[in-house]
Amino acid sequence: MNSGPAEESITVPPGDGGRSIDDLLRTVSASRLTTFHQCRLRFWYRYLSGIVKPKPAALHLGSSVHETLKFWNRARWHRRSPSLRDLHDAFSGAWFELLKADPVAFEDEDGEKQTGWKLLETYFRESPIPGDERPEAVEVAVEADLTAHGLPKLVGVLDLVRPGGRIVDFKTSGKTPDAEQVAHTTEGQTTGYALLYREATGHTESGIEIHTLVKTKAPKLIITATPPATDTQVTRLFRGIESYVKGLEREDFVPSPGLQCASCEHFNECRRWS
Amino acid sequence: MVKLIANYAKRLGLPGYSSHQFSVSVETELQNVTDVAGESARLYESLQKAVDDQMQQTGFVPPDGYGMKEGEHRNGTPGERQQNGDAGISDKQLDLINRIVRENNANKSEIENIAVEMFGGGVRTLNRMQASNFIDELFAKYPRRNGSGNGNGRGNYQRQAART
Repeated sequence: MNSGPAEESITVPPGDGGRSIDDLLRTVSASRLTTFHQCRLRFWYRYLSGIVKPKPAALHLGSSVHETLKFWNRARWHRRSPSLRDLHDAFSGAWFELLKADPVAFEDEDGEKQTGWKLLETYFRESPIPGDERPEAVEVAVEADLTAHGLPKLVGVLDLVRPGGRIVDFKTSGKTPDAEQVAHTTEGQTTGYALLYREATGHTESGIEIHTLVKTKAPKLIITATPPATDTQVTRLFRGIESYVKGLEREDFVPSPGLQCASCEHFNECRRWS
Repeated sequence: MVKLIANYAKRLGLPGYSSHQFSVSVETELQNVTDVAGESARLYESLQKAVDDQMQQTGFVPPDGYGMKEGEHRNGTPGERQQNGDAGISDKQLDLINRIVRENNANKSEIENIAVEMFGGGVRTLNRMQASNFIDELFAKYPRRNGSGNGNGRGNYQRQAART
């Protein structure tokens, strides 16, 4: 089986964009798992090839929104009630700092920034989270030892855990998501979060919420709530991780052409793959 | 009748992430309503002295290795470990916290109070998820002190960044 593209023109030394297969087998994360099962060649490009692509504007917007929500969540933890002005300052600060660390080639930076802030305004207006609700955890790095199942360690970061063990993941999207589709397409991720929470707390989560901030002309907040992960979902996740391990071990990185290619950053390289 | 109600509470850290606390409350009739400030100051002084006198008796302080048997997970008392099952704060997390405290000459009771404020319990009672967030909080409070490190404020005791 071919293990990568025949030729590459834009490469950087491994260590930044490029990781080793051994390293990627030591642990597994929801995002790596999702990318691997979406398209193994995209996985190769993203994690193994050493190719570094400029950060897309949408990703920068999402990261800045994410940082602002983290600021808000942490403020509530410390019993502070930031004003809209404070939140706007936090958003502007995050936008600037992230841009400094990872430049983005914008077509319309002001427009993107405005969109990001409108999303946040909508979120703060419509969020089901009360302004005085203290979180259980914020942006917390956790891991679950799966060696008893013959699998690598699962690692991840939980955006927010609400009181009572309600796990929240924040997303930004250009399209209004369908609730059932979100539940299906994020199942690996949400089940992973559930396992991570259980391992790190000794308790079962009370549910999982995906808070999707939609970048429509009039921004929307769509919340998809799912119950605690079932045994069947955990088994499906384990099967997915098994497949990830076996695929990496035999260096199986074939492309999976499909609708997802429209937004793939490695479309051009993929066209040259053989 | 005008009443003056006063309460004085103090929590102090002890070795090995122990702590003890004591509070005294009094309710008294205000003799002179024009001197609330003076009366309050006298009460404060008196209550503080009462609490301080008592708190010099630390009682039982667990020695190093308390509650540990050969091969036993060392964090928390047996009761605390039971509280979190196998999910109690890990040795690695506890070592990192101790290192941050040591390298910054941090006040252990202050560190303990941060844990209580954030999670409602002392460091030894935290589960691994809480401990992870607690370490984030300490990193924010004690940024690196020299030029080494990668500039994200985690300095010499840089925890492995969450790489997913």
